[in-house]
Amino acid sequence: MAEDYILELKGITKIFPGVKALNNVQFQLKRGEVHALMGENGAGKSTFIKVITGVHAAEEGEMFLNGKKVRFKGPRDAQAAGIAAVYQHPTSYPELSVTENIFMGHEIRKFGMIQWNVMNQEAQKLLDRLDADFSPTEEMGALSVAQQQMVEIAKALSTKAKIIILDEPTAALTQSESEKLYRIVDQLKEEGVSIIFISHRFEDMYRLASRVTVFRDSQYIGTYDVDGITNADLIKAMVGREITDMYPKPDVKIGKEIFRIEGMTRTGYFKDVSLNVHAGEIVGLSGLVGAGRTEVMESVCGITKPNAGKVYLDGKQCKIRQPLDAMKEGIILLPEDRQKEGLILNWGLGQNVTLPIQSELAHSGFNDTAAEKKVAKQYLEEVDTKAVSIYDPASSLSGGNQQKVVVAKALAQKNMKVVIMDEPTKGVDVGAKAEIYAIMGELAKKGYGIIMISSEMPEIIGMCDRIYVMCKGRITGCLNRNEATQESILQLSMEKGNTKKEVAQG
Amino acid sequence: MKQKSVLKQITKSREFSLVIVLIVLCVVATILNPSFISPTNIAQIFRNNALTMVMSVGMLCVLLTGGIDISVASILAFSGMVVGMLLKYKVLENTLLLFVIGSVIGIVCGLLNGLIISKGNVAPIISTMGFMYIWRGLAYVISNNQWASGADVVGYSDFGADGAVGPYIIIAVVFIAGFIILKWTKVGRKIYAVGSNAEAARVSGINVDGVLIYTYVIMGFLSGLCGALSVSIYASAQPNMQYGLEMDIIASCVIGGVSMSGGRGSVVGTFLGALILALITRALPLVGIDAIAQNMVKGILILAVVVLNVVTQRMMDRANLERREM
Amino acid sequence: MAGKSGREISITSNKSALSRVLSWEGALVLIFIAVNILGVILSENYTAANVLRQMPRYLAEIFILFPMGYILILADIDISVGSIVCLSATMACFAGNAGLPFPVVILVCLLVGLICGAINGAILAKFTELPSMIVTLATQIIFRGIAEMSMGSGGTVSYTNSADLIPLTTMVGPFPISFFGVVIAAVIFIVVLSKTTFGRKLYAIGSNKTAAYYAGIKVEKIRFIVFSLAGLMSGFCALVLLSVLFSANTTTGQGFEMEVIAMAVFGGIATTGGKGNLVGGFIAAFIIVCLRVALGLINMNTQLILVIIGLMLIIAVLMPGISQRIKTMKKMAKQS
Repeated sequence: MAEDYILELKGITKIFPGVKALNNVQFQLKRGEVHALMGENGAGKSTFIKVITGVHAAEEGEMFLNGKKVRFKGPRDAQAAGIAAVYQHPTSYPELSVTENIFMGHEIRKFGMIQWNVMNQEAQKLLDRLDADFSPTEEMGALSVAQQQMVEIAKALSTKAKIIILDEPTAALTQSESEKLYRIVDQLKEEGVSIIFISHRFEDMYRLASRVTVFRDSQYIGTYDVDGITNADLIKAMVGREITDMYPKPDVKIGKEIFRIEGMTRTGYFKDVSLNVHAGEIVGLSGLVGAGRTEVMESVCGITKPNAGKVYLDGKQCKIRQPLDAMKEGIILLPEDRQKEGLILNWGLGQNVTLPIQSELAHSGFNDTAAEKKVAKQYLEEVDTKAVSIYDPASSLSGGNQQKVVVAKALAQKNMKVVIMDEPTKGVDVGAKAEIYAIMGELAKKGYGIIMISSEMPEIIGMCDRIYVMCKGRITGCLNRNEATQESILQLSMEKGNTKKEVAQG
Repeated sequence: MKQKSVLKQITKSREFSLVIVLIVLCVVATILNPSFISPTNIAQIFRNNALTMVMSVGMLCVLLTGGIDISVASILAFSGMVVGMLLKYKVLENTLLLFVIGSVIGIVCGLLNGLIISKGNVAPIISTMGFMYIWRGLAYVISNNQWASGADVVGYSDFGADGAVGPYIIIAVVFIAGFIILKWTKVGRKIYAVGSNAEAARVSGINVDGVLIYTYVIMGFLSGLCGALSVSIYASAQPNMQYGLEMDIIASCVIGGVSMSGGRGSVVGTFLGALILALITRALPLVGIDAIAQNMVKGILILAVVVLNVVTQRMMDRANLERREM
Repeated sequence: MAGKSGREISITSNKSALSRVLSWEGALVLIFIAVNILGVILSENYTAANVLRQMPRYLAEIFILFPMGYILILADIDISVGSIVCLSATMACFAGNAGLPFPVVILVCLLVGLICGAINGAILAKFTELPSMIVTLATQIIFRGIAEMSMGSGGTVSYTNSADLIPLTTMVGPFPISFFGVVIAAVIFIVVLSKTTFGRKLYAIGSNKTAAYYAGIKVEKIRFIVFSLAGLMSGFCALVLLSVLFSANTTTGQGFEMEVIAMAVFGGIATTGGKGNLVGGFIAAFIIVCLRVALGLINMNTQLILVIIGLMLIIAVLMPGISQRIKTMKKMAKQS
């Protein structure tokens, strides 16, 4: 054998009822390397991981571990073979202790009895190795996402895994937490562990991986050396075409102020937040995950109750007690979690679009289905949704098209004045992203006020006229389009000790 | 870091606060009636609540998985009725054998619940509601409008008679076994894992369906066992025996701090919960509340405890938020 | 006006979904006919006139079926309805025996039901963290406990001015008047569910509560209304029951929650929420009513009838899973 592959998969095909989730894909992992696995959402990465870890059984294909052919019947077999996965959403047991989360399934036992003391000590050792700042007897549910992820890694280590798979580990982490994770991965690499790394962030890949494999549309596209491939080539491999103008920000004449919030405060989430938006303006709200951006906007829209604060629309103060009030005023929220908050997945697209306006279309409480169909068709076509009929269930669409349906739902509310988009491109593949930016541009041209919450620096710099930055529940600054850079935003996002004191005094 | 240790303290102190409630109850009852804490009275309390206590361990397991079983009293009645009829028509008189038969009936009933809930993907409340009427109805059917009286079960009833150690042994064995299994064995921890996060359990290689099945089998087994025990303690078997007992059992668990959404609860807490409920029902007449109002009191107790849980959780959340730095 | 890419989105539904729904209701009608044939075979007294005369005794529960359908569509459950029936009937008896005029008695009966339902609804709306199962489990024993207490040690109370109740038992042609009550309620509840914004909101909440809330639906208000409605309809049920039994006791209404849930599930409503309609439930209700009349005519033990209905519930809830499994097996077979 020319190369020393610890793991090799050939011709893997996985069929779910109705779809080929993986079509004849291959993959090679060298001993002791960090290998990035990239591709758009729905490209088959997660399914592939689940084939490796034995959660799914592939219909066709072979898998070699240390050159020997293996066939896993379940997750247990993979675990025994030294393969461990840290999934995208920490798959933890919130009510149980850290120790138990680490050792679930391979408890240390004597005469069939679980040895809690021994396990706690072992867990402490693992946590020390990862430089963790919490104790093994703490309850998992009380930890932060980053800490929970650390527990998951400790769990992988506890199984003495030789191959560790990290599925989008940085998605929910802040910058500094990501840095910590990078260090852990480096350390594991030095200890001789081979790592497969799935991520949407190019940053992760450049920082960690030596090689990258790209999947597209359930198929294997290629494997490249990270040093030898450009950003553009990689995007082309992932999307299948070149994207020339990613951020089609139109030149719009900014009108008068239409929307303003003052002194919004909700105990424990955010404090004294004020901002304003003009007609035709795209305003960004940036900051690290957990800075309170989503929480502010949810309070503005009546989803949660703020402790203090005023909302003005066209100079008039409006009273917002529940979501319906905000919608009646014309403040429309496109929530962050499309699948949970934005759409009813098992409903058809049409009814999803008309859900907020069904009462307006109805005659004395009776639904006007003919009018609803017309409205739904009109707006779904306006945002160019890839769907056959308005009866297609929302669950059948890709992330990008689901987002378009959410946009159509907002557009159908005729009194819309301000639209708040919370992470509109999260989980949306590169191709559909560009389309959503185009829609944002259109909306700005029509004179709506737009607020975009985003964690992705390039899109916020590329699309926004002004950018507010939040840190720990407060607005720490507002940057104009010409002064916004990754560095300036990051600096405001991570305001340190002394400035905080100044704010507290003032 | 601080907020976590507070959270831990409060969850840890659940049992502690239950002990305090227990002590307060005893003190109040003793003031009202000085002979309340006499050995005979305590022994009576345990004997009268033996069924609730034993079955609450099974209910704890079921609630830990995030399920519920309201068919337990009917399983008890069906098993008890079978035992009673076997005795009445002198088919069998061996006490041990009758207990085994009762338990096996319970296991079969539990297995059916487990299979339908796990393999058939049916909500536990729906499945057990159906069986609640099925087993109770069958208890009536096999009784054929007869009932086993004290004379029919003479000899058999010695095991659970007033002063006999039988019921106490069963209570002790079940609680100790439950404690060991749930705390120190893989079988027990899997129940917690499934209730805490079934999807994670599945991914980490736990056979979730299997865990659900044996959980309901444990519940069924204890219900069947209690069917036989009930006939022995009360020296009779009627089809309507222990009607509504499931409420006492669920109330014991809820008072003992078992979460209705799964994953949280302990054997010690359940024991204390059952004991508190037993003391309250025993003490009610002392404060002039009719026996007829007992059911209502239990209902109010369940409601009050679950509402209290929500309120304290909200208060804790708020306190944590206020402590958060900004 | 098509989109930029000129892609058109069709607004005509594909018929197959509709025909599938129809086929289930069609099957229910067939079962209904089968049950009637069974009745004729079992007893020579099973005639149309007899069935209609016997019906009011069993019709009462159907009043609760409709709001229970709503509750199940919301992905909630209410197991306190049987106890509400008991309490309403008990209070109506006391009101009547105290010499109150009959219209006031009716009002008392309905009002008690409404209040009980509103209590359930208010607790659930106020403490959203609590599952409806545990709340109604507790109120189930509380409501029945209140009835037990007011009945005292006898455990029963009869309606002394039984003449009052005669108007409720009049026959209109061959039909008992309560039959019309059920039909009117059915029409109202079915139309509201399928044709109005309120009905659509129920489905939205049952399918995805969070998304419904974000779309401006007042989730807690609607849950409150629906649970109150269940209480009110339990009051109606109690009234019809009184007109047949002339008394209430501690076991009045026992098992009603199971029977109406069985009817709803049998009629195609999923207990997981957001799915099904009441037309199927309405047919299923009459299947059960006719079955009970037939089994009653051959003097079958009432407990055995409960066993049969329990089995029907279990089979009905297992059905979607089984048909799903068969479908995927067929699909797999086709693919390979």
